[in-house]
Amino acid sequence: MGPVTLSKQNRLFWLGRYAERVYVTTQFLMQFYDALLDSTAPDYADFCRRLGAENVYRDAEDFCRRYLFDGNQPCSVRASMDALLGNGMVLRETITSPTLSYLQLADSAMDLASRSEAPGVELQWVLDDIMAFRGSFDEAVDLDGVRNITKTGGTVERLSLMLRLDWQTDRLRQEMRKLLNRLYKTDLNAEPKALQTITAYALEEADVPAPQLLHSVEGLFVV
Amino acid sequence: MEDLIRHAEQINRQLARHGVKFGIYKNGTFKERLFPFDAIPRVITATEWETLSRGLTQRVRALNLFLRDIYGEKKILADGVVPEEFVYRSPGYLTQCEGIVPPGGIYSHISGIDLVKGKDGNWYVLEDNLRIPSGASYPLIARRLCRRCSSDTFRHNAVADNRQYGELLRRTLDSVNTGGINVVFTPGRYNAAYFEHAFLAEQSGAVLAEAGDLYVRDDVLYYRATHGDCRVGALYRRVSDEYMDPLAFEPSSLIGIPNLMAAYRAGNVAVVNAFGNGAADDKGIYYFVPKMVRYYLGEEAILHNAPTYLPFYEEDRRYVLDHLDSLVIKDVAEAGGYGVVFGSKLSRAELDKMRDTILAQPRRFIAQEVIDFEDLPIMEGSDRVERKADLRAFVLSGAQETVAWPSGLTRFSRNPDSFIVNSSQGGGFKDTWVLSH
Repeated sequence: MGPVTLSKQNRLFWLGRYAERVYVTTQFLMQFYDALLDSTAPDYADFCRRLGAENVYRDAEDFCRRYLFDGNQPCSVRASMDALLGNGMVLRETITSPTLSYLQLADSAMDLASRSEAPGVELQWVLDDIMAFRGSFDEAVDLDGVRNITKTGGTVERLSLMLRLDWQTDRLRQEMRKLLNRLYKTDLNAEPKALQTITAYALEEADVPAPQLLHSVEGLFVV
Repeated sequence: MEDLIRHAEQINRQLARHGVKFGIYKNGTFKERLFPFDAIPRVITATEWETLSRGLTQRVRALNLFLRDIYGEKKILADGVVPEEFVYRSPGYLTQCEGIVPPGGIYSHISGIDLVKGKDGNWYVLEDNLRIPSGASYPLIARRLCRRCSSDTFRHNAVADNRQYGELLRRTLDSVNTGGINVVFTPGRYNAAYFEHAFLAEQSGAVLAEAGDLYVRDDVLYYRATHGDCRVGALYRRVSDEYMDPLAFEPSSLIGIPNLMAAYRAGNVAVVNAFGNGAADDKGIYYFVPKMVRYYLGEEAILHNAPTYLPFYEEDRRYVLDHLDSLVIKDVAEAGGYGVVFGSKLSRAELDKMRDTILAQPRRFIAQEVIDFEDLPIMEGSDRVERKADLRAFVLSGAQETVAWPSGLTRFSRNPDSFIVNSSQGGGFKDTWVLSH
């Protein structure tokens, strides 16, 4: 493992973010589709709004069929997968070929899912491959500082999605403490005000409204 | 061997899993394609390799001496062995390199020599690639995956191990390194050979870098790292000469490193391969390589050139014009299978036009006899069919040694009527086995 440039730091950070985005949104949408069967799914238009996706869908079914694999939607799983694989490809010599191969597998599994009559079954492979990628990444990347940049990216993304989607909010403080713990193991420069807000919330010193928390999470690092 | 063929689909799946791709621009859009792999290897016997290997290293040693000479004393030009015009009018010749002797005295560290095997059993060199030859990564990764998919095949065949290429590359870079880290310099993710850049960086333990990651200060090249900048001692660049330094070459280049040429001239960084090598792998210069071997090494060339004519010489010009319909005409400025015309495929009017062009610009072309080269078997579905194939052999030259890698990239045409094997034109590849005894 050689030295790390700022551009590589940026790619490592976003590698973590995109991996988490693919993982969490796939899981979330699988639950969403399942809930549709019982007519208990949340409003898909609200989902689009929360993720900043353009609502070009006729109804919930149309959304289900098209959103996940729509590469033109910046937050869709397909677009996130493309970005994840793209980041992995430019980090091959850092994360190693075997680790990168799990992203290639996840990408292929997503292609298969998009053509499948039962995409939910195939999407499980995407989740499995992302988990294998994480394990392989942990094994392959020796330097704690480098490894934690990607892990920090993953936690930032998870927090961002929790706040945007109002999802698993009971775990927010726990995730934030994890973020703070990781932050000190990297060379990432944190924005002081955002860090103060997150620290106060994580340590239960202050209650912070969700929009302000989201703003702090997204603005914590300028990578 | 049959076991290996039976596992062809698995091997191709593994290659896809490892992202073994090449990029191509079509109608202005970048697309990545899998490089089709055929499991039937090209087999080179140990005796055959012994001759090939000696011929390849001999050729590359002569080409390195030629480069040192033309950018230095120019004895070969003064002695009239190579006409000055062929050097100075070559687009690959760079006046900026005059008088520079690179670290270790090596110009072409990684040379890709394209050969074909004639039906007469002889190997013929078709082309020397001394700038940024690509392709070593493909047989390298394919071998690993083949061994995994069909271990029996490699247990029962004495195939020389080719997996040391990364180590060989690292040794080559280390031998010319001026003090600092080794860097593989790529134009970026959307380059046709990006897979190879990233893979070779990983295999050789070098750092992969793009333009913004590197800078020159006080004639020293640095890698911009978060823990303090690191000096670069060897730069394995995968970017063409003209884009490498906007202050020395193409001023509009955004993918180069300003002032790199100054660092190189000061001897503070080894550029691998050196600048200006295009003057020695020009298709026109190819004609003179056997003469270079004689001139510099006092030996006869072990490897043959394909019978080649230079319309520049009157006698050759007459022959070329009289036999235009049976020769293959190559534009010396083109590469990648472009600018290659088979006279037999031209209409009367096209032949007349070609004749006029040759008369007007004789230096621009070479003409070669069409070599009846060996076909190799490939699998097409469940059928075994024969296709034209070439071999790109890799020779690595460090400060102390010149070594031919016991493997190579065998490319084949998938079109039964075509001699063009380039991946950019739809060709596939095979592993190249050198038998160890």
